Parts: sequence; C-alpha cells; structure tokens
Amino acid sequence: MAQAKAVHAETTGLDTLAPRQRMELQFEIEQFLYAEAAMIDGREYRAWLDLWTEDCSYWMPIRRTVTLSDIDREFTRRGDMSFYDDNKQSLAMRVAKMESGSSWSEDPPSRTRHIVGNVRITDVKGDEMTVEVAFLLYRSRLNTEESMWVGRRVDRLRRVDGALKLCGREIYLDQTLIRATNMSTLF
Amino acid sequence: MDLVQEPGDIPSKAAIRSYFDPSEGTLDRRVFADQSLYDLEMKNIYARAWNFMCHESHIPNPGDYFINYIGEDQVIVVRDKQGEVQVLLNTCRHRGNALCRAEQGNAKSFVCSYHGWNYDLNGDLIGVPGLSSYYRKDFDKSQWGLAKAAQVDHFHGFYFATLDSDAPPLHDYLGEVGRIGLGLLVANGPVEAVDGIQKNVIDCNWKIAVDNLFDWYHVQYSHASAGAAGFMDIAAILHPNNQMVMFGEYGHAISGPVIPEEKQAEIDAMTDEERLAAAAAGMLKNPDKPVVPPRLSTARDMLGPTGVRCMGHPNIFPNLWVSTNGTQLSLRLPRGPFATEIWWFTFLPKGLPEEVRKQQIAFNAHLFGPAGMLEQDDGENWSQSTRASRGTVSRKYRHHLAMGLGHDEVLYDERGAVRVETTISEHAQRWLYTYWMNWMSADSWADIKANQPALPKGRV
Repeated sequence: MAQAKAVHAETTGLDTLAPRQRMELQFEIEQFLYAEAAMIDGREYRAWLDLWTEDCSYWMPIRRTVTLSDIDREFTRRGDMSFYDDNKQSLAMRVAKMESGSSWSEDPPSRTRHIVGNVRITDVKGDEMTVEVAFLLYRSRLNTEESMWVGRRVDRLRRVDGALKLCGREIYLDQTLIRATNMSTLF
Repeated sequence: MDLVQEPGDIPSKAAIRSYFDPSEGTLDRRVFADQSLYDLEMKNIYARAWNFMCHESHIPNPGDYFINYIGEDQVIVVRDKQGEVQVLLNTCRHRGNALCRAEQGNAKSFVCSYHGWNYDLNGDLIGVPGLSSYYRKDFDKSQWGLAKAAQVDHFHGFYFATLDSDAPPLHDYLGEVGRIGLGLLVANGPVEAVDGIQKNVIDCNWKIAVDNLFDWYHVQYSHASAGAAGFMDIAAILHPNNQMVMFGEYGHAISGPVIPEEKQAEIDAMTDEERLAAAAAGMLKNPDKPVVPPRLSTARDMLGPTGVRCMGHPNIFPNLWVSTNGTQLSLRLPRGPFATEIWWFTFLPKGLPEEVRKQQIAFNAHLFGPAGMLEQDDGENWSQSTRASRGTVSRKYRHHLAMGLGHDEVLYDERGAVRVETTISEHAQRWLYTYWMNWMSADSWADIKANQPALPKGRV
C-alpha cells in the first residue's frame, strides 16, 4: 500500500510555512514543472537534462493487474524489475541516444504533449520538496500511431544555488500492459 | 506455380509449402498478413506445441497463480493444494467468463464473478449456487470441471504446457537445442525469478518479432544509437567472425556469437572460484557492458561441448527467446496477425552477491523492454514490415532471407548437436520458416514427426 501511504503523507514541513509563502512556493513549483514539460515537448533534451541533479533517480516500476487481496503487489519494488531505473548517467545516455542521429524510434520524431496537473506539495524538508502530480502524456508518431500514458508522479525537487532542480521522479502509470510499440519518450 | 488464394480462404497444404523457398531463401509476405493463416497457426502450432508458462519461483506456494496464454487460449498456471502445478483454461464452463482477471496472485479457489461457480485449484467444480433449488440437483458437478492442458512438465523449473495429448514429452520436444537454450539460464546454478515482467504490445506479426532474435545483421544499424550513446559497444558484442547457428528439431534454433574453441579452452582451465570472481568483477567493472560471464565447470556436462560455447540467441519454437546474457526470457505472444505482446522475464542465480544482483537488474531494465536502449528501436521496424505485408502489390515481393545460403558446412558434435560456425547469416531464419511450413501443413503430431525436415548435413 505504498501508494496510499504516500497520498496521505504528513506535510509537517509544509505546515511551518505561512499561507503567503506556501502560495509562492506552489506557484514557483508549478511554473518550474510546466517549463520542464515544455522542454521535453520542445525537444530541448539537453536543457532538460541540466534540470537534474548529479545524484538524481528516475524510476518507473511495473504495475500489474491484481485483485484487492493482492493489492500490496500492484507495483514492483525498488531493486526488482522496472521500466526505468535511471540515474544521471543513464538519463544522459537516453539524451545522447536521441541526439545520435541514428535513434530510429525518434526519427521522424514523436510529437508529445505533457499535461501536468493536480500539483500538490506534500512535503518540505530543508532544501528539498516532494511534489505529487497527475500527468497525461500524449504521443503521436508517424501518421497513425497514438499513445497515451496517464499516471501519478512523485517528484523530488531541491533548491540549488537558489534555483529549483529535480533530484527524483517516481512514475506510477495507470496502465499495466504498455499499449505502445515503445517508450522512447521522456516522462 | 501460381497458387491463387483469396483472402479468407484456408490455404491448401501445397500453398503453405510454397510460402518459404529454402533453396532460394525467399519468404512470401502473406505469412505476416493473413487472418486465415493466423487462425491456422493457433490450431496447428500453438495448440500442439509446448508453450512456456512460468518458472516455479513465480508460484512457490499453494494457491499462487500466474496468467499466461497458449495462442488465444488464456490459461491459469496454479500450484494446487498438493503442490502440483496445474494449467487450467481460464474460462468458466457455465458461460465462459474469465475466472481470473488479475495477472498473478494467490487464490484459495477460483470463483466466477458471473454466477458464482467455484472451482478448486486443481480445476474441479466444487460449488454451484442453487444446485438444489434451481438445478433441482439435476446437474453433475464432476463433469463440469475446468478444461486443462493435456500435458504439463518442467525443465530446470521452467514450466511448459501443451494442449495436445499426442505431443512428445517436453524433454524430447526441446531436444538438444532447446535443452541448451534453457540450460543457458541455469548454467551457473539454480535461478529464481526477479519480480516484475515488462509487457508491451507492438502492432506487428509475431513471427517477425521471433525471427528478429536470430538476426545479428540488424544490430549494427538498428541499434547504432545505443552504441553512439555509450550504452554498449555494439561492434564488440557482434563477433561477426565468431558466429554459430545451431539447428534443432521442431524448428528450435540458436543464432549468434560463439566463444572460440581456444578461448573456451582457457575458461576450461579456470577453477570455479576463478570463474565466479571473473563474472562478478566483469559486471561490477563495466555494469553497462557485460560480457557473458564464464560458465561454471558443471555447465559443460549440462550444455555439451558446443552449447557451453554458445553466446547467441536460442528460440524454443514457437515463441520463447532466451537472451544472450542468460538472465532473461522473452515471450512473443500472438494477438491477431497484426499485434504481438512482448513479455520480458528476468532470472538470476540464487545467492548472487547483492551488488552484482543490483547491477544485473539495472542492466536488464536498460537493455530490453519498451524503454530499453536496444528494444526501443526494434518495434517500428517490425510494425512497418507487417504493415507493408498488407499492400496488394507490396505483398507480391517476397522477403529475401538468403544471406549465407550454400556457403557453410554443417558440423556435428559428439552429442549430435548440429551447427555451422560462420559469419553473420540468416540460416536460423530459414530453419524457422522451413519448420513453420511443416507445422502448418501437418494434420497431427504424427504428421509433424513423419514429415519433419531432416537435420542438415553437408553444405547449407
């Protein structure tokens, strides 16, 4: 029940902020996440990569259709198989792949649109903030290929030299069988 | 000979036997695009073959179940109360509803959500609501248990099932090549499944996803970007001058790099401690550039003198791929002529050092699967090849699978394993489609055996 716990996470750090500070932080984070989404959709992968800290983690577990009695096995856990289990180095490889001139799954390039919403700051600890969002990622490829991924993201942001950076992303898809030829796009 | 076939017609045996020409190495594109051929594949191939179900470690306890497919038949693979593995058709005998709608889990029994019929883990019908009141006791439960696979067996804990009682025993079905293929997974000791199966669906015909696993020609081009990005040294994994194709009964084959005999002799001279240390060091030193680690000394007995040198890709006919680094299996599950589900299973030796285990899992997650650095670039090749097979004129142009045809000498080892040692070739694809024709034009298992192409001799 990892997901349910996270949804109702204590927001102790957040409670220490005055309403005005909280609104400003919410605004700043939302604008940051929208700008990040626009970078991917605008194919500015190198700039996107620069948003990530050197110690970052980017992870998408495998989700399964299970009965309510087995619901604790819905997602694979850290250390088990996943769709993405990336660090800065492997994210850099994904970007280098797209820049290589021979990344056929992205040439002709996909057209993507990341819609990010339901932005909730769930925790603030020192320089780090945890933010949960609902996302919709639409991808159109060639003339007829369409994919849509919807899910929940848990992002960890860190303030570095005054600017926001991404230091963690957990991506929980709402589909189990991936109904797409591949996932050559960034979430 | 012009074998005219209208769409929807069941092709004649003579027509089926014309779809691949082994002497020219050309393939009729209609094998990727005809619903009638697909329907025949379900009946003549999938319903007869031994199909991979899951590993014993996926269902360790009574009540543990795992959903898989035999062609279009969905099955429940379940460990019953006696500890036996049962393969039950996932369809209620009353009105056909699926009993199990989850992918895996644990159940005490299988209760249908439609009218509440309840089946024991061994498939027996144990509960029917209204048996006295509505059926007036005029119903014999013992006759309405779940349909079952005709045979279930395992090899090193890898469970298979067939719907055909005439199928040969699993051991014989696998033959030397199939046993080597699965043996590669357990060559360094017993394994267990890593939790999580990557599943995605590609709009391609299942056979192009299968024959591609033999294809070491596409690697340098399709996967060039994985090399350019520094994920793996594509040139280094190809070994174009050390390639081997092994030919097995019923269409099994292995294609890809081979450890040269002199290199194998060096490995044979190492102790098992040295081999384990080399394997662990190799993985930790270059986590994203693993080579096949030296197999332990027992592997030679298990795999034989040829199998122990194998670094290529085995396919257990029809659709089970063992990956090169010997820790993954992939099923290519047909979903109509124009769609294939790709499932990736991962297995690791029990008791692997934690750091090695972590690196291997991370490497596997980055390699294949829909987001894999390699497999991202495969799907569209297959879907576009499949799509082009539907064109009225396009389909008249046969595929060319003649690379290396007539250039290689067949070798037999002391255990009877049949191989060629060569450069990159399309021998295994030719073997696959030659056997595909035999399966498709057979009326029964007796027919498959009676007409099966002889293992090659001389020049191929």
